[in-house]
Amino acid sequence: MKKQLITGLALCVAAIFFVILVSSISTADAAELTLTANMVKEIPAGPDAPAWQKAKAIQIPFVGKEQFAGKKADVTAKALYTADTVYFLFKWKDATQSTVKGAWEFDGQKWFHRKGNEDRISLLFEINRINNFATKGCAVTCHGPAGKPAKEFKFATASAAEKGDLWQWKAARSAPYNAVDDGWLTVAGEKTGRQNDAGGGGDVKNEVTDKSKPLYMQDPGKKPSAPGFLLMEEAVEIKDYSGFKAGDVITYQMPKKPDGSRADVKAISSYGAGGWTVMLSRKLDTGHDDDVVFNARKKYPFALALFDDSGDENSYDSEVITLEFGR
Amino acid sequence: MKNSENMSQGLLKLLALDHAVDFLKNTTISSDALTWKRVCGSIATVLVILLFLSGAFMALYYSPYPGAAYDSVQYAEFDLPFGDVIRGIHHWSWNLLLVVMLLHMTRTFFTGAYKPPREMVWVSGVLLLLVVPLAIITGDLLPWTQAGYWTTRVRVSIISSVPVIGPFMVDLLQGGPRTGIVALTRFYVLHVIFLPAGIISLLALHFYFLRLKGLADPIMPSRLPKRNIALLPDMINRWLILFIVVTLAIGIATRFWFAVPYGDPADPSDSRFVPKPEWWVLFLNQLVSIFKGPFTIVGSAVIPGALAGLLLVLPFISRSPERRPVRRWKEILVAMLIAAAILGLSVMSWIEHFTSTVA
Repeated sequence: MKKQLITGLALCVAAIFFVILVSSISTADAAELTLTANMVKEIPAGPDAPAWQKAKAIQIPFVGKEQFAGKKADVTAKALYTADTVYFLFKWKDATQSTVKGAWEFDGQKWFHRKGNEDRISLLFEINRINNFATKGCAVTCHGPAGKPAKEFKFATASAAEKGDLWQWKAARSAPYNAVDDGWLTVAGEKTGRQNDAGGGGDVKNEVTDKSKPLYMQDPGKKPSAPGFLLMEEAVEIKDYSGFKAGDVITYQMPKKPDGSRADVKAISSYGAGGWTVMLSRKLDTGHDDDVVFNARKKYPFALALFDDSGDENSYDSEVITLEFGR
Repeated sequence: MKNSENMSQGLLKLLALDHAVDFLKNTTISSDALTWKRVCGSIATVLVILLFLSGAFMALYYSPYPGAAYDSVQYAEFDLPFGDVIRGIHHWSWNLLLVVMLLHMTRTFFTGAYKPPREMVWVSGVLLLLVVPLAIITGDLLPWTQAGYWTTRVRVSIISSVPVIGPFMVDLLQGGPRTGIVALTRFYVLHVIFLPAGIISLLALHFYFLRLKGLADPIMPSRLPKRNIALLPDMINRWLILFIVVTLAIGIATRFWFAVPYGDPADPSDSRFVPKPEWWVLFLNQLVSIFKGPFTIVGSAVIPGALAGLLLVLPFISRSPERRPVRRWKEILVAMLIAAAILGLSVMSWIEHFTSTVA
């Protein structure tokens, strides 16, 4: 009797598992581009860490707009996570390393801005649900005040209840601090809906009042921590301009050291072999209201934009990608 | 021991439940009412109760408003302790319920247990089998996902194609042509009030007729003497063991291996989304694909309606007392041909929807 009971119950359990297995196959969602973050125990110290070999790579296609209209690009993406942190690894081809961002150059007589912008990769997640973001991506974030042309507000949600988490790795302005400029997106105010996360950071324009020349230069008493970039806390006011010679270059938009919630996303980046490699990391839950909380059992739609020596609307945009966490 | 017994007796008296408990203790039931050969009916009851319990929990957090429904379901699933397990139990229970009910009905058919005098046991069971899909259909829309929304749109368009009553049914279901807040509210009310009430009523009728007419005897007479056991505690204890095992099996399966699939929030403006039919509607989907234009009604209403009608009138047209399958080979053959047609249509639909997608 006991044997019959146990056998019967075991068969019941097996049948339940079988039916669940079969019905789970038929209820699977339609295929879409999904980036799966695999769980790892060891923290990936950098883009070459062995842990990345366990991550599945996906190719994210991008379509250009404005000055890149008709062009395409693609980024290889991987993701990993530990008990408390999520890591992303992005690699993309870029023939030119662009970090100029309008730097000052001295021609022997006067200062002028060099032509050139910076390379950048941006990610947008939802903090609160952004209506139809999961299906249409960044296209639904084109909302501005009535009567204002699109170029003036650039980027905003349709209502204050909708909030996005905007991460921008900027080759000239955040990379020198191994950080991402962490912001958030809300309804448009006077202009843009983009807001900075709480804390310090960003950049300051290095120019005198009449905008004719730089105001700051590298403090001769400090060793540059990011060679090629003038960081705000390593800058001193220029007292004597006579020492500069033709061809001298000084950063125009000086990065400021990020702190607080604005410094939540760390970055390790390098340029080589005709392309960028950028590794991002962030706590799953930062405890800050201006950040998306990652729950490893949930899926997160996100979209990316790629800037190639460009800014404003001149970008390559991706479709929506789903971030999921492997069990 | 004696003290606790006295206490429980006292408590039952206080709550005026002592007579009810005595009634259950004095009610006897055939010992083979819950055996492995007849387990499907009991599992179906377990699953219905699990659906009610898990549904009641989810209703505490659910907001039937298009802008909030998806997030309220997500909150209950991911931010509450065991929320995913409870939603998993709800989701997999209805899948299992359909399978178990079909098995239960198949056994009843093959053993001829639907024949007089148990016609109404069969009819109430078939009605249950027809009401459960309505609960599934209304439930599909509630999480307000892309799949749920667009599946509902397809179903609404099929309903609206039925002449005369189609447009009226659509108006009744969703208050107009749009699947929006009115539709969500009505589907919610149907899902949590009217359809559960229907299921409870039909279950009560099913058990009432079963009690009145008794279980059908086995086709092959048992060598063991028939034995009656008390409903309380003997039969209820058996049933409780089954309840615990089924609950644990589904709960563990959903927690560790089979999380409930969920998609993106519904986007009514995204008409690119093509919903994939669930396994149990594959054959209906294929019928609708086959019969197009003026013949749509054949696939959407005539054939499914005829099948449902045939099931309902079966005990009234098959009056012979003969229950042995070999002596009923004609009706068994017809049933197998119908089953093969349903299976064939399902496979065709599955191939069309699940194998042509480029990953």
